[in-house]
Amino acid sequence: MEAGYLFLVGPFAYTKLGKRANADTMDRITIFCFVASYTLALMLELLHSWRGLIAARIGALLSGLAGLVAHTLFLYSKQPPLIWQFSWLLFVAWVLVVAYLTGAIHYRRLTWGIFVLPLVLALVGLAVLFGQPPERGLWTTYETHTLWGPVHATLLLLASVGVCVGFLASIMYLFQAHRLRTKATPGTGLRMLSLEKLEEMNRRAIWAAFPLLSAGMIAGVVLLSRSEVVSWTDPRVLSTVVLWLLFAVVLFLRIASFLRARQVAMLTIVAFLLLLCSLVLSHNQPTGG
Amino acid sequence: MELLALGCSYRNTAVEVREQLAFTDEQAGRALERLASELGYEAVILSTCNRVELYLARSGPCPLGGDLTRFLADFHGLSLDRVRPHVYAYRQLDAVRHLFRVSASLDSMLIGEGQIAGQVKKAYEKALALGVTGPVLNVLFMQARKVARRVRTETGISQGHVSVSSAAVDYVREVFDHFSDKTVLVIGAGKMGELTLKHLAAQRPARILVTNRSPDKAYAVAAGCGGEAVAWDRLDEVLAQAHIVLSTTGAPEPIVTRERYLKIPRRHTVAILDIAVPRDFDPRIHDGDQTFLFNIDDLMKVREATLARRRDHIAPAESIVEAEAQKFVKDIARRRVGPVIDRLTKSLEEKRREIVTKLFLRLNGKLSDGDKQYIEGAFSLLQNQFLHGPIRALNDETAVTTGARHTLLEAMRKLFHLPE
Repeated sequence: MEAGYLFLVGPFAYTKLGKRANADTMDRITIFCFVASYTLALMLELLHSWRGLIAARIGALLSGLAGLVAHTLFLYSKQPPLIWQFSWLLFVAWVLVVAYLTGAIHYRRLTWGIFVLPLVLALVGLAVLFGQPPERGLWTTYETHTLWGPVHATLLLLASVGVCVGFLASIMYLFQAHRLRTKATPGTGLRMLSLEKLEEMNRRAIWAAFPLLSAGMIAGVVLLSRSEVVSWTDPRVLSTVVLWLLFAVVLFLRIASFLRARQVAMLTIVAFLLLLCSLVLSHNQPTGG
Repeated sequence: MELLALGCSYRNTAVEVREQLAFTDEQAGRALERLASELGYEAVILSTCNRVELYLARSGPCPLGGDLTRFLADFHGLSLDRVRPHVYAYRQLDAVRHLFRVSASLDSMLIGEGQIAGQVKKAYEKALALGVTGPVLNVLFMQARKVARRVRTETGISQGHVSVSSAAVDYVREVFDHFSDKTVLVIGAGKMGELTLKHLAAQRPARILVTNRSPDKAYAVAAGCGGEAVAWDRLDEVLAQAHIVLSTTGAPEPIVTRERYLKIPRRHTVAILDIAVPRDFDPRIHDGDQTFLFNIDDLMKVREATLARRRDHIAPAESIVEAEAQKFVKDIARRRVGPVIDRLTKSLEEKRREIVTKLFLRLNGKLSDGDKQYIEGAFSLLQNQFLHGPIRALNDETAVTTGARHTLLEAMRKLFHLPE
């Protein structure tokens, strides 16, 4: 069980649990700390897009970085297990913030944070709505007491990161396509990656998410066959299966070149909404199908 | 020191006259040497398609325009009456301001264009190489470069593209990220498309296909850009392969109608740059999904939008130019006053020492060291108080005098018998 717990906390389990330096300081870091930083970063990104102030962009990056540090310390100090929505959402948000900072530095002149940061804030907001997981001693479900649960949850989490990135790429693709359809002057308004780059980003995200989702599904099947609590008709199971099927269809059509990039983008957005549905359906229960 | 800018530009002179007054490289060299050797000027000649200007400086007074207009007319073999109505002349602060505005592209036909700064630099370097510049023009042109750079970096005056070809490539770059796997199709061989094709070829696409009703023209264009000529009757076939289409024919009717275009099998995104007038492509094929069509009006709109945005930056750019011009003129004036003040101070100091030394010899043995120190201090104080008024008056006049004549400075030289 301890091994399973360590696996659940994933990258935050490298030090011994009982040896946390500056525990008091860590405990003072709350969700508000990084939500405030991300909100400030978003406002500064908007200001940068509106007025073109370099100082605003630097401020946004610093604010985002401060938020990431607080976010990391929060996850490190709480070490919430990934099978619960709360920790799962916070971890996905953490990955997206890393993506935001990397993208903002790599594509300095492009509008990137304005799309990523609202999603990050939405995910953290959803995590707060779901509430913190119960104390470790109160975990009673089979999923938390076996290795298959964490494997299943981790694979689905990584697949979800792919879905989120695909979702962001799709939103940006549709926005850029709209700009080009209306023949907006290049270099004005929000500066975006090219359509080709956004399409490629979406394609890569889907290609990365699908095998992870499939592997997560297989782990889920094993888990389900041994579970007495969750049935095959559970909404979480069904929504995950639908999500997998949707991805399979998107990939097939994509490979067969039947779908235009715009349609792929729309389907990726649907996939993201299905993911959210799956999360809501499994409210107050461990995540996964 | 007198500073003068004299010439004509697109603002007040028709191109026919500008052409007659323009200097070739060789002519500019000859004119610079004559201005320096015969008239004793430091000189730089700026001759571009939009302006012909002489920047001159010398220590004595400069006649405002007259003689130099005659020089300009004589040099080009034109009558004075033909040239005189077109020539403007600026002196001192106005001349400095004018050069700074020209360098910063505030006086250009397309505000914010980057070419003029390079042309000013080239004009100066030519004069420098001929040895006809001096302390004033050297500093002035160095400063003009700095001002142009400052205006470019501190304002948005040079942001965006104003040429149709650059705007076309900007649109293509909004659609495509890389070009190494793209096929560019050029339809027609219009002059309008040459520069756009050059810009597209610079992106290094995988293939450039050129088609034209006249095979010879297609081969000529293809040879010029490293492309491949394709027969006109294969247009639909190559349209299916192309990612980027540049169309510049002189056809009176659209070549590619919507019906024709929809019949072409295609599975990738296409950006079409239709810069022909009349248009070659039916505008209805722009679906904003797989086909993005930009015609000459769209590209002109980009240019207008860019110029409109640049106009918003004129006021801050003018402020920078004005502040820098004022500072430059004051710095130059201080350089003139500085040596006079220095010589005046040294001259009085020598006289004070002489008087004090004689006084100490006369009173030898009667003065203690303390007395000597007190007397020396008193004479120094007298000297400083005596100089305070004239120095202050000189500095004050320098601050307000931007004209060439510095009467107080001349008066001081005469009053105190100071050398030039």
